Amino acid sequence: MPGPNHKAPEKPKNLGHSAKLFIKSLGKYRLALIITCLLAAIATFLTIFGPKILGNMTTTAVTSLTTTGQIDWAPIASSAITLIILYIISAIISYIQGYILTIVSSKYIAGLRSKILDKISRLPIAYYDKVQYGDTLSRMTNDVDTIDSTLTQSLTEIITSLTMIIGILIMMFTISLPLSLIAIITVPLSLIVVGKIMNRAQKYFRSQREFLGKVNSTIEEDYTGQQIIKVNAHSSKSLAKFKAQNDSLYHTSWKSQFFGSLAFPITHIFTNIGYVAICIVGGMLSINGTITIGDVQAFIQYVNQFNRPITEVAQIIATIQQTLAAAERIFTFLDEPEQSPDPSPAKVITNVQGAVEFNNVNFSYIKGKPIIKNFSTNIQPGQQVAIVGPTGAGKTTIVNLLMRFYDPDSGTITIDGVPTKSMKRADVRQLFGMVLQDTWLFSGSITENLKYGNSKATLHDVKEAAKVSGVDHFIESLPHGYQTHIDEDSDNISAGEKQLLTITRAIVADPPMIILDEATSNVDTRTEELIQEAFDKLTKGRTSFVIAHRLSTIRNANLILVMKDGNIIEQGTHNTLLKAGGFYAELYNSQFKEV
Amino acid sequence: MFKLMRYLKPYWFQIIILLLSVALQVWGALRLPSLMAEIVNNGIVKGDTNYIITTGLHMLGWTTLSAFGALSSSYFSAKVGTAFARDVREDIYKKVLSFSISEIDRFTTASLITRTTNDIAQVQNTTVLALAMLVRAPLTCLGAIFEAISTAPDMIWIIGLSVAILLTLVIIILSLVMPKFKIFQQLLDKITLLTRENLTGLRVIRAFNNEHHEKHKFSITNTKLMRTDMFVGKVMSLQNPLMMLVFNGTSLLCIWIGINLMQENIAYLGDMMAFMQYAIQVILSFLFLTVLFVILPRANVSAARINKVLNTHPKIHWKKQTIGTPTKTPSVVFKNVDFVYGGAEEKVLNNISFTANAGETTAFIGSTGSGKSTLINLIPRFHDATSGEIIISGINIKNYSENDLMKLIGYVPQKGFLFSGTIQSNIKFGINSITKKDVESAAKVAQAADFINKLDDKYDHHIAEGGTNVSGGQKQRLSIARAIAKNPDIYIFDDSFSALDMKTDAALRQALKPITKNSVTLIVAQRINTIKVADQIIVLDKGNVVGKGTHNELLTKCKVYQEIAKSQLSDAEYSRELTLAQKQRQKGGK
Repeated sequence: MPGPNHKAPEKPKNLGHSAKLFIKSLGKYRLALIITCLLAAIATFLTIFGPKILGNMTTTAVTSLTTTGQIDWAPIASSAITLIILYIISAIISYIQGYILTIVSSKYIAGLRSKILDKISRLPIAYYDKVQYGDTLSRMTNDVDTIDSTLTQSLTEIITSLTMIIGILIMMFTISLPLSLIAIITVPLSLIVVGKIMNRAQKYFRSQREFLGKVNSTIEEDYTGQQIIKVNAHSSKSLAKFKAQNDSLYHTSWKSQFFGSLAFPITHIFTNIGYVAICIVGGMLSINGTITIGDVQAFIQYVNQFNRPITEVAQIIATIQQTLAAAERIFTFLDEPEQSPDPSPAKVITNVQGAVEFNNVNFSYIKGKPIIKNFSTNIQPGQQVAIVGPTGAGKTTIVNLLMRFYDPDSGTITIDGVPTKSMKRADVRQLFGMVLQDTWLFSGSITENLKYGNSKATLHDVKEAAKVSGVDHFIESLPHGYQTHIDEDSDNISAGEKQLLTITRAIVADPPMIILDEATSNVDTRTEELIQEAFDKLTKGRTSFVIAHRLSTIRNANLILVMKDGNIIEQGTHNTLLKAGGFYAELYNSQFKEV
Repeated sequence: MFKLMRYLKPYWFQIIILLLSVALQVWGALRLPSLMAEIVNNGIVKGDTNYIITTGLHMLGWTTLSAFGALSSSYFSAKVGTAFARDVREDIYKKVLSFSISEIDRFTTASLITRTTNDIAQVQNTTVLALAMLVRAPLTCLGAIFEAISTAPDMIWIIGLSVAILLTLVIIILSLVMPKFKIFQQLLDKITLLTRENLTGLRVIRAFNNEHHEKHKFSITNTKLMRTDMFVGKVMSLQNPLMMLVFNGTSLLCIWIGINLMQENIAYLGDMMAFMQYAIQVILSFLFLTVLFVILPRANVSAARINKVLNTHPKIHWKKQTIGTPTKTPSVVFKNVDFVYGGAEEKVLNNISFTANAGETTAFIGSTGSGKSTLINLIPRFHDATSGEIIISGINIKNYSENDLMKLIGYVPQKGFLFSGTIQSNIKFGINSITKKDVESAAKVAQAADFINKLDDKYDHHIAEGGTNVSGGQKQRLSIARAIAKNPDIYIFDDSFSALDMKTDAALRQALKPITKNSVTLIVAQRINTIKVADQIIVLDKGNVVGKGTHNELLTKCKVYQEIAKSQLSDAEYSRELTLAQKQRQKGGK
C-alpha cells in the first residue's frame, strides 16, 4: 500500500523483463540467496510449533489436575525442553541466515556500484550531452540503495511472512475448523475495508504529492530569486502566493496522512473482533469438549501473530515494484551502447611534431543536421589556431573532435599524418593538454590535483610548474600550502585561481599540443593578466587550439576559424578575414563601436 | 525538537482530545485479555455458557470503544501534525524572505531550501508518529503492567526479567553498531562525491586518461563501504533471533510458572493466559520505544537545522514609514562609507565617497575583490554600511521604508534570474499597473523584442522554473527588461552586460540612453568598452577609490585603470586609445 509520503508509485515499464535481468545479475549469489530463503523458512517454521506445544502443556496440566488432583510434570517438562531446543535451533539458523545474507548482499551491492562507475567511464561523451548527470548520479545513489534495502530487509521479510502465514494456517486448521474459519474471515474483511479506504485515499495521496511539489518548487524558486523579490518589493505578494499553496497543501496533506494511517487501526479493530469471537466460540467449544483449553490458548496466540505478516505482505508488493523499477533503471544504464572499441593493432606516434590535418571532415550531433561540412585545413607544427564566434556557436565541437570525444561522420583528422581513428583514444588524448573554461578540480590536495595529468611528477616539478604559471605565491599563502585540501565548493579559491591551477595542471602534464578555452569571465583583471601570461607560456612552441576571446590571440593566430550557429562559416588569418568583410569583420568591429 | 514544540501550542485542545483518544484506544484493547481470563475461569472451567456470552458482549463493547479511540487519534494526529508542518514552513519562508545577503550567504541558498523542504518533512513525519506512538507505547506499557499486576501479581517478575534482558540486548547491539553507522554514512557520502566528480569531470578525466586512476580511487572507498556494511549487517543479524528468543522464552516461562501456580488454585488458568498476553504487550511497547529513540535523533537534527533559521534575525531593520520626502531629481551620494563583513578584519570598502547625478552614468571598475559589487549592493540595502552615510534623493537610506526605497531602484543582477510564469509576468514582476505597450517597449530597449516576437506565444511564452527554457543571454535581457519596465529613478547594473555578446551590448547601451536621461545609472563592469562613455568612472582597488573621472582622464593619469585597459586591448589599440585621450585632454574636452 503506498503511503502518503511515498513518491508516485513507481512501476517498472517491463516487469517480467526487469525481474529476469535482476535475477540474472545476481549471478553466483543466486544459490546463496536461495539457501538463505530456505533457512529463513526453516527458522520461522520451527517457531510456529511454539503455541501449539505451550497449549498442550496447559491441557496436560489442567486434565491431570482435574482428574488426579496432581499435576503430571513429566510430559510438561519434556514439552518444555523440546520447546527450548526448538527455539534455540531456530535462533541459530536465523542468525546463520542473516550472516550469509549480509555477506552476499554487501558483495553484490559493492559489485553493482563498481559496475556503474565502470560504465560511466566507458560511455561516449555523447551520452552525457543528452542525459543530465543528476540522472546518472541517482542511479548510483537512490536506485542502488533501494535494491540494497530490499535484499537485506524485504527479502527475509517476504519469506518469513509467507512461511508464517502458511504455517499458522496449517496449525489453526489442525486445531479447529470452525475457529479457523472465524479467524480467517476477519482477514479478507479487514483487507477489503482497508483496500476500499486506500482506493478512496489515492486521490488525496495524488493531490498531496502534487501540492507538495508545487510548494517545494515555489520555495526553491523564491529562495533563489530572493534578492529580486526584495528589490522589486514583491515580498508580500510572494508570501501571499506561498501561503495559499501552503494552505492547500495542508488540506490535502492531513487527509492523506489520516487515510494513510488508517490501515493499522482498522486491521487492529478486525483483529480484536476476531479475538472476541474466538474467545466466545472457543469457550463454548471447549465446554462441549470439542477442543481442549490448551488449544484455545494456542489459538489465541496464533490469531495475535497472524495479522502482522499479512499487512507486511501487502506492503511488500509495493516494495517489489519499487525495487524492480530501480533495477530497471540501473540495467538500462548498464546496457547503454558504449563507445566503439579502440582499433587493434593501434598506431602510435612516437616523436610528435604536432602537424594536424582536417581532411573533408563532416560532423553532426544529430543525424541529418550537419554542423561541420567538408572542413579541411592543414596546421603546421607550432602554429596557433583561434576559434571565435558568439556564445553558443559550437566552438567546443572542434575540441570534441580533436580529443575524440566525438568521431567525425566522415573524413579524417590526422596528427603527423596518422589518422586519429587508427590510434587508441588514450594515446590521442595524451598528445593534448586541455584547459577548459569549466575549471574542474577534484576534492583532494592541491598537489594531487596538479599531478593529475602526470602521476610521476615530483613535488619539485609541481612547484616549478606553479612558478611558471605564477600561482606558486598564491598556493604558498594558503594555510597548508601545497597540501591544502580543495573541493567543489571550496570558497577559499576564486574562479581565476582555479583556472590558474588547471593551467598549472596542464604544464605539469607537459603535452606536445594544447587546447585552451580562454574565457575568463568573472575574473579580475590582475588575475586575468596572470592567466594570459601563463597561457602564452603554455602555448609557446606547441601546436595550440584556442577558443579565443582576446584580441591579441586572434590577431596573432596562424589560423582563425569563425563559427556561427554550430557551423564554421569563415576561416583565414586576421587580415584576410577583415578584408573579406564578412561576419568576422562585423564581430571584430562591433567591439570598437562608439556609443 | 522540543523548541519547535511551541508550534503545537495553538492546537492544545486538539492534542488533549488526541491524548484522550489514545488512552481510550489502549484501555479498550487492554481490557480484552482480562475479560478472556474471566471467560476461562468462570465460563469454561465452570461450564457456564451464558457467562461466556455476556462477557463476550462486554468485550465487544470495549472493542468498539477502542476502535473509536483509534480512529479519532488517527484523525487528530494527522490534523495536528500537518498543521504544525504548515505553520513552521510558513515561518521559515517568511524568515528567509526577510534575510539580507549576509544571512543567506551564511546558510547558502541550497541549504535553506533543504531546511524548508526535507527537514520539515522529516519533522512532520516524526511528529505524526510521535503524537501517536510516543503516547501509545508508554500508555500501553503502563496499562499492561497494571492489568498484569491485577491479574497475576505473583508472576510480574517475569515481565521485569524479560524487559531487562531485552533492553540490555538492545543497548549492546546499538552501541556496537551506532558508531559504525556514522562511518557508513560518511563513506556513502564519499561514494556520491566520487560519482559526482566522475560525472562533472568527465572530459578532464578522459583528457588526462585517468579513468583507471578514478576507478581505483572509487574501489578503495567502495571496499571500505562494503566492509562496514558487512560489519553492521552481521551485528544487526543478531537482533532478530535474540528478540525472538526473548519473546518465546517469555511465553514459555509464563506457562511454566502459571502451571506451577495452578497447582494451588485452578483459577490461575485464565490469569496465566491473560498474563502471557500482557507480558507480550509490555515487551512490544518497549520495542516501539527503542524504535522511537532511533528516529528521534534524526528528527532532532532536522529540528535543530530548522531552529537555526528561525532563530536568525536579519541585521537590517527597515523603517515602517519613510521619514521625509525624496527630491524630484534623483541622486545617489556616498559619504565616507566603510564596509566590513561580520567578523572579518579587513575592510571590503574603505572611505568611499562620490555623488552620482540624474542623467549621468556612473561606472565602477576594478578587479574581483575590489569591492565594486559590494558597493552597489549597499544601495538596495542587501548589506548595511559599517560606517558612513548613503543618501538617496536627499534621504538617508536607513530612513526609507523597504517599499519606498525599492520603488526607486531598478536592479539587474550579475546572473539573469527568471521566475516560472510567462515572459510578460516576469517583465511585470513587482509592478502593480503596467500596460502591455510598456512591457513591449521595455523588451525592445532590452534587445529582447526580437527573440520574443519569434516565439509562438510571444509575451505569453511560458517560462519554466529557473528559466531553463531560455538561453543565458535571453535570461539576462529579460532581467534587464524587468528593471526598465519599472521605470526607476536609479538603475543598477551589476555586471549585467558580460553575458551579452559585444554587438547586443552596444545596441542595448544605445537604446538605454534616452530612457535613463532623468535617472541615475550605476554600472559595474568588467569590460572597458562597456563603460568608456560613462560620465564618471570610479576605479576601485582593494576597497579604495583609486581613480575617479572619465575614460580619457583615467587613461592618462590612473595607473590601475591603465593596467586594466592594457590587459583588454592589444598594444596597438592601447596606444591608439592613449594618444586619442591625450589629445582630447589637451583640448580640454573629454
